[in-house]
Amino acid sequence: MNAHSLVSADLSTLTDAELRRLELKIARKYSGKMPWRIVIWAFGNLAVWLSLWPLVMSSIMPLWLAFPIATINIALVYLPTHEAQHDIIARPGTKLRWLNELVGHATSWMMIYPFEVLRITHLDHHRHTNDPELDVDITTVAPGPWSAIWTTIRQRQPKAKRSMDYLAALARANRPDLIVLAVLYRLGFIAILGALAWSGYALEALFLWWLPYQIAITYIIFFLSWAPHHPGNERYRYRNTRSWKSSVGNIGSMGMQFHIVHHLHPYIPLHLTPAAYYEMRPILEARGCRLGDL
Amino acid sequence: METVLRTLAQLSPILFAVAFLGPVIDQGMQALGLAAPLGVSTLTFALLIGGAWGLFAQMTGRWI
Repeated sequence: MNAHSLVSADLSTLTDAELRRLELKIARKYSGKMPWRIVIWAFGNLAVWLSLWPLVMSSIMPLWLAFPIATINIALVYLPTHEAQHDIIARPGTKLRWLNELVGHATSWMMIYPFEVLRITHLDHHRHTNDPELDVDITTVAPGPWSAIWTTIRQRQPKAKRSMDYLAALARANRPDLIVLAVLYRLGFIAILGALAWSGYALEALFLWWLPYQIAITYIIFFLSWAPHHPGNERYRYRNTRSWKSSVGNIGSMGMQFHIVHHLHPYIPLHLTPAAYYEMRPILEARGCRLGDL
Repeated sequence: METVLRTLAQLSPILFAVAFLGPVIDQGMQALGLAAPLGVSTLTFALLIGGAWGLFAQMTGRWI
């Protein structure tokens, strides 16, 4: 049986191993391709955000206009770093590996995280999805969308559990050096904001970085963590995440409608997950996945 | 080094308040044309408000 005949096939007669084989065949078809668009996205987005600073400081662009652009820029930062975390741009040992790492490092600092911290904690999330003790994203679980937004804000407070969970993941990975680096990034962020503020650019720092970051991180966590895992109470790999039809569409939800494909096959580039999902859907249905109305 | 970093990290709400929040309130008031009460400068007023908020965050572990 090939992947194209799946729609009409009765998959209930197949064994677990046969289903797995078919699923992997589809996944491989969509993997291993260089996602140039995410590289262009990463550096284009960075260039736009960086250009806002001189444009605003030299009064060429008003701050009220730069603020929403900066918010979009910071919201768009996470997906390139996410692709790099999963080695999707280039795997270790390949010719363009340096580009994968460059994309990761060049983007994650805008979110005030070292790239390696994001990589280690995110891969830990994949290993322990919905585990109340070990999933670093478990604090995003909430009964509904509004409480999810409020929970995200509460979990960014100084003594919130989420920060402790991140530090615990780094400790489990035996990377105390990254704990130090993460603290340095936080203190560096305060130092940069302070230097700008005491130089007379407090509002620029507020509306080009601090506030866009707060809005963007709320949006990112909502669509990348809360929505695809909701209600976050199942740990089986075919049930710990889902597909769903977002009211803001696939672009508005940053491609996360197909998050189930990402969790099952995290080496598939973001822009190919919809096609992989639709081809894989009958298998996922046979697996008892939570597919919603997508 | 690690002790210094740990101390600074623990004091980050106060640091944030003095380094950033105070000047933001000050420059925000100036941009909106607001005067500080009791004849104090907007910067003094902003540092008092920002500092108090930072102290609250420092003691309770939350800004809101």
